[in-house]
Amino acid sequence: MKSRVWRSFSLWYLIGVHLIAIFAGFVAPYDFARQERTRPFAGPTRVHFVDSSGKFHLRPFVYGIEKSEDLGSGYTEDRSIFYPIQFLVSGDEYAVGPFHCSLHLFGIEGPERFYLLGADGFGRDQFSRMLYGGRISLFAGLLAAALAGCLGLLIGGMAGYYGGALDDLTMRFAEVFIAVPWFYLLVAVRAVLPLHLDPSASFSLVVITVGFVAWARPAKLVRGVILSAKERSFVLASRGFGASTFHILQRHIAPAASGVLLTQITLLVPQFVLTEVALSFLGLGVAEPVPSWGNMLAAAQHYNVLVSYWWMLIPGLVPIPTFIAYHALSDNLHARLDC
Amino acid sequence: MIRYISRRFANSLFLLVVVSAIVFGLAQAAPGDFFSDATINQRISAETVAALRARYGMEKSLPVRYWGWLRSLGTGELGYSFAYDLPVGKILWPRMGHTLLLTVPALLLSWLVAVPLGILVATRRGSLVDRIFSVGTSAMLALPDLLIALLILLFALRTRMFPVGGMNSVVIPPGWWSGWKDTAWHMFLPVLAIAFGALPMILRHTRASMMEVLDSPYVRAARGLGLSRFVTLYRHALPAAANPLISLLGISVGGLLSVSLLVEVIVSWPGIGPLVLEAVLGRDLFLVMGAVMFFSVFLIAGGLLADILLYLLDPRIRMQS
Amino acid sequence: MEPLLEISGLTVDYTTAGGSTVCALSDVSLQVFAHEIIGVLGESGSGKTTMGLSALRLLPANAAIRSGRIRLRGRNLLDLREKDLAKVRGAEISHIFQEPAQALNPVLSAGRQISYVLRAHKKLSNRELIAEVHAMLALVGFNDPERIARAYPHQLSGGQRQRVAIAQALACRPAVLIADEPLSSLDAATQAETLALLQRLRSEIGLAILFISHDADTLAAFASRTVVMEKGTVVAGGSIQELRSNSSGYVRALISPGASLKAPTPAEEAAGTPLLSVRNLTKRYVQRQVLSRRAFIVEALSGVSLELNRGATVALIGKSGAGKSTLARCIAGFETPDAGEMLLDGFPLRNLKRQMRWQVQMIFQDAAGSLNPRFTAERLITEPLDILGRGTKAERRRRALNLLEEVGLDLKFADRLPAELSGGQRQRIAIARALAVDPKLLILDEAFSGLDRPRQARIGALLQTLQQRHGFACLHISHDVGFASLLASEILVMGDGRIAAKFSSEEIRNSRDTTALMSMAVDPGSSRPEVEAAP
Repeated sequence: MKSRVWRSFSLWYLIGVHLIAIFAGFVAPYDFARQERTRPFAGPTRVHFVDSSGKFHLRPFVYGIEKSEDLGSGYTEDRSIFYPIQFLVSGDEYAVGPFHCSLHLFGIEGPERFYLLGADGFGRDQFSRMLYGGRISLFAGLLAAALAGCLGLLIGGMAGYYGGALDDLTMRFAEVFIAVPWFYLLVAVRAVLPLHLDPSASFSLVVITVGFVAWARPAKLVRGVILSAKERSFVLASRGFGASTFHILQRHIAPAASGVLLTQITLLVPQFVLTEVALSFLGLGVAEPVPSWGNMLAAAQHYNVLVSYWWMLIPGLVPIPTFIAYHALSDNLHARLDC
Repeated sequence: MIRYISRRFANSLFLLVVVSAIVFGLAQAAPGDFFSDATINQRISAETVAALRARYGMEKSLPVRYWGWLRSLGTGELGYSFAYDLPVGKILWPRMGHTLLLTVPALLLSWLVAVPLGILVATRRGSLVDRIFSVGTSAMLALPDLLIALLILLFALRTRMFPVGGMNSVVIPPGWWSGWKDTAWHMFLPVLAIAFGALPMILRHTRASMMEVLDSPYVRAARGLGLSRFVTLYRHALPAAANPLISLLGISVGGLLSVSLLVEVIVSWPGIGPLVLEAVLGRDLFLVMGAVMFFSVFLIAGGLLADILLYLLDPRIRMQS
Repeated sequence: MEPLLEISGLTVDYTTAGGSTVCALSDVSLQVFAHEIIGVLGESGSGKTTMGLSALRLLPANAAIRSGRIRLRGRNLLDLREKDLAKVRGAEISHIFQEPAQALNPVLSAGRQISYVLRAHKKLSNRELIAEVHAMLALVGFNDPERIARAYPHQLSGGQRQRVAIAQALACRPAVLIADEPLSSLDAATQAETLALLQRLRSEIGLAILFISHDADTLAAFASRTVVMEKGTVVAGGSIQELRSNSSGYVRALISPGASLKAPTPAEEAAGTPLLSVRNLTKRYVQRQVLSRRAFIVEALSGVSLELNRGATVALIGKSGAGKSTLARCIAGFETPDAGEMLLDGFPLRNLKRQMRWQVQMIFQDAAGSLNPRFTAERLITEPLDILGRGTKAERRRRALNLLEEVGLDLKFADRLPAELSGGQRQRIAIARALAVDPKLLILDEAFSGLDRPRQARIGALLQTLQQRHGFACLHISHDVGFASLLASEILVMGDGRIAAKFSSEEIRNSRDTTALMSMAVDPGSSRPEVEAAP
C-alpha cells in the first residue's frame, strides 16, 4: 500500500518535469544549437567547492578545461582559471512566447563553456539539449495521447451511445487498427509524407500520426463503459424519472467514461513519448539541430561514441523516472475508479 | 467448431482486406512517387520518366492498380520495388526469416520466464517478493526499449564476450554446424533485448489474472476440499486464468515486432527493420507497404490462432458460439 | 458421547483496509454430534459465515483467529500444519457455499472437479475414478451421471450446480458438512429439492450438517437444534420450537419475521376504474445470429392481463424465465410490448410523455447497481426532483432529508456514498428516491431477494407504513411465495409468459405446502431459455 505522500508525489513530480520542459530556455544555460567546435565530446565538467590550495568556497565553481596532451584521454582541468557558477546570468537569447529573453537560471561568465552533463560531437551542451529535447519528446507524447483520447471519446462515445450499425462498423474498424503492427503503420504513414520538414511541422506530424493511428484502444474502452453504463440500473432508474438523454450523459455516463479515459491517457503518454523517441532516433521524426531525446540518442549508436562517452546515453535515462511517475499516476486513478 | 473457425477466418480475411485498402490508400495519398525526384533531374528526360511510369503500370486507373496489387499480395510478390527492381516478396522473404529468427525465440523466452514468475508472485501476494517484483516490473516497464538495446550493445562492446553487428562473422569456419553456432552467438544479445522489452507486460498480466482467480470462491472451495497446492494452482487456477493471457499473446507479438525493428537497426541485424527504414528514406513505397502487409498477415494470423486456442480451452466461449 | 465437531471459545478478528481491527466472532462455542443437523441462524453480518469458514480454516488473509479451539474427532484443527489440514479437508470435513455458480470452476467439467477431490484423498485407478464420479453424481440424484460429468458449470442450472457442488463435497464421505446458505440463490422449487436431497444424504451416508441460514422456516423443518448468532456471539440455542418462546426481540424477529407485518387488507371492491389495467400484453425477443438466417424467437409475454386497484398490493410470483421481469419492464416503460394495452388511470402508458413517466416507479433487485456509486445519499434522492425541476434547491434538499427520515435513516447518512451503506440501507435509499416524486404505482422487482429475512420484514413493514401514508399501489415481483403472501392481498402466479393462476393471500397462508401450490400452477415440465433482460 503506497502512502498518500507518494501518491501526490507522482503528480507533483510530473507537473515539475513538464514546467522545467516548458521553461527549458530559462533553466538551460545554453541554446540547444550553440556549438563549440573546439570541445567535441567534452566530459561533464566537475563542480568544485574546494580549490587546489585546499580553500573552501561557498559558491561552487568550475575550472577551465583544455585538450590534454596525450591522445585519447580527452580533456584535463586547467587549474589556473577559475569560473564561479552564477545564478540568474545573461547568456544566449531564447523566446518566451512573443518575448525574447536572455536571462538563465545559472551559468558561468567568461569565454569557457560549462558542461553539466558533457558535450556532444559538436561541443553542444548535453544538459541544455536534454531540457529542450524533453520539451519535444514529453509534449509530443502528451499531445498525441490527448489526441488519441479525444478521438477515442468521440468515436467510442458515438458507437456506444447510438449502437447498431454504426457501432458495428466503428468497432470493426477499430479492430483493424489494433490488428495492424502499429509502429510499422506509423513508419508507413511517415514514409508517404515528405521526408524533410521544418521542426514544428515534423513535431505536429508525429503528434497527429500517432494520435490518429492509436485511437482504437481508447475508443473501445469508452464504448465499453458507455455500453455497460447504459444497462446499469441507475441509468434505467434515471430514465424512469423522465430524465433526458442529455441529463443521463452529463450526470451518469460522462463521469464514468472520463475516469476510464483519463487512466488510459496517462498510460498512453509514456508509450507515445517512446514512439516519438524511436521515430526521431530512426531519423523519421524531429530532425537536427532541434533536439529530441530520440535524435540525441541516435549519436550514441556509433560504437566508438557508445563505448567512450557514457553521457551520450543520458537522454535514454531521463525518461525513466517520468514514466514511473506516469504509471503511478495511472495506478492511482485506476484505484480511485474502483472504489 | 468448424462454424466458429470459419467465422473467425472470414473475420480475419475481412480485416486483411480493410488493412490492404488503408495501406494502399495511404500510399496513393502520398505526394509524388519514386520517380518524382527523377523529373527534377535535368539529365533524365521527361519521356524516360513517362516510359518508366508506364512500365510499372502507374498510368492505369486506381481500382486497376489496387486489384493488381491485391493479386500480387495473393501470389506473395507483394508489389514491386523500384529501388531494387525486383518483386518485393523476393526481397522480403529472406529478410523475414532473419527477423523471425530474433522474434520467435524472444517470444518463447519472454513467455517461458514471465508466466511461471507471474504465478509465483501471485501466490505470494503482499510478501517481500511480491513488493520487490511490483517495483521491479514498474521500473522495467519504464525502461525505454531503445536504451535496453543500446545498453546491450555497450555490454557486448565493452566485454567483447559477444560479437557485434550483423548475424554472421566475416570469416566462418567451414561446416554447417559452425555456421549455425556463429549465428546463434550473434542472436543471443538481440533476442535477450527483445525478450526483456516484452517481459514486464506479460509478468504484470499473469500476476493480475492469477490473483483474480486465486481470490475466486472456486479456488477457495478447492482448497477447502483438501486439494494439494499444486493441483489447486496448476489444475484449477491456471486454466481459469489462461483466457486473458491468450488474448495478450496476440497483442504481445505486435509489441515484439516494433521492439525488434529498433534492435535490428541498432545491432545492424539484416532483418526487415533496416530494410524498411532504408525503403522509407528512399521512398520505395511498395516495399514499405509490403512489409506492413506482411506483418499484418502475421498478426492477424496470430489473432486467429489465439481465438482458436481460446475456443479449445474455454468452454464458456464454446457455449457462446 | 463425544461431539464430532466442537468449537469452543472461538474469537476471530478482521483487519480492515484502514488498519483497524473488527471483531467478527467473540467466544463462540458450538457442538455438533454425529448424524445431527445443527442450524445456525442470524442476520447477515452476524458472523455465521466467518464461523463456517474458520471451522475449515479457510478464512481470508486479513482475518486472524485470536483464541479458541476447533476440535474434529478430538483433534484441534488449529494446531495442524497446512499439509495435514489438507488431508482433513474434504475427507473428514467438507463444505458447500451459498453461490454454486461461483463454487465451481467455470473451465473444468463437473466430473473432472469431482475427480480432483477423489484423487486428493484416495488412491484410485482411472477406471475406478470414473466409476466413483458417476456413482457420486447418481447419489445426488442425477439420472444421467455420464452426461453431467462431461458438462461444464455454465451448462447446468442453478439447482444442478448445487447438486454437483454437493457431490464434490461428499465425494470422500466426510463426517461433517458445513452448508453456508446453500439455498438462498435457488428458487422455491429447487430449494425444496435440494433440502430433500440433503436430508436423504444425511441418513444414507451418515452425515452431520452445520446448516447456516437466515431462514427460520427452513431450519424448523430440517435442524434438530439451532443456535442464534448476533454480532459475533451466540445469543440463544435450542430447537426452533423452544426458540419461539424466547423473549429477545432479535430472536423473535428472526424466527417469525412476518409478525411485524400487518395482515394485508383484502382487495377493496373496485371503485371506478382500476389504477392499472393490462390487457393481452405480448412481447417477443428475436435473437439473430450473424451469419445465419435462423432466428431464435422467445416469447417472453404471451397475452398477459391483470388489474391493480388504487393503493392495493399485488404479488407476481413465478420461476425465473417466467416473464415476470419483462412484464415489470414493460409497465415501467423500459421495454415496448409488441401488442396489448396498458392503461394507467385510463390513460395508455404507451403514449406517456417522458416528463410524465414518474407516475410509475421501479425498485430494482440490485440496490447497489441502481444507485450511482458517485452520488451521495442526498444527491441520489434529489436527482428525480432535479430532473423534473420541482421546487427550489433548498426545497429539494429539505424534501430529501424528510424522505431519509421517513425511510428510517438518520440524517448523518445524507452525505454517505452507496459503498458506505449496507444492503438494507441502500434499498431504503432507493425507496426514498422513488417516493420523492409521489408515484402512483411502485414496482418492486425482486427488491428483497438480496436481503435476509429480518431485513426483508423490516423493509416490508416500512413499505406498508409508507403505502398507508402516501397511498401508492404496489406490484411485488418475487420468487418467494411465503414472503409475498405476507405483503400482498392477491397473488398472481406467472408461468410461460402468462398468468397461470390467481390466489388470495389467505389461500396461500392457509395451505401448508406452498411449493405444491406453486407447481400446481406452474407446469414444471416446460423449461425455456431464460430471457429476462433485453437481447
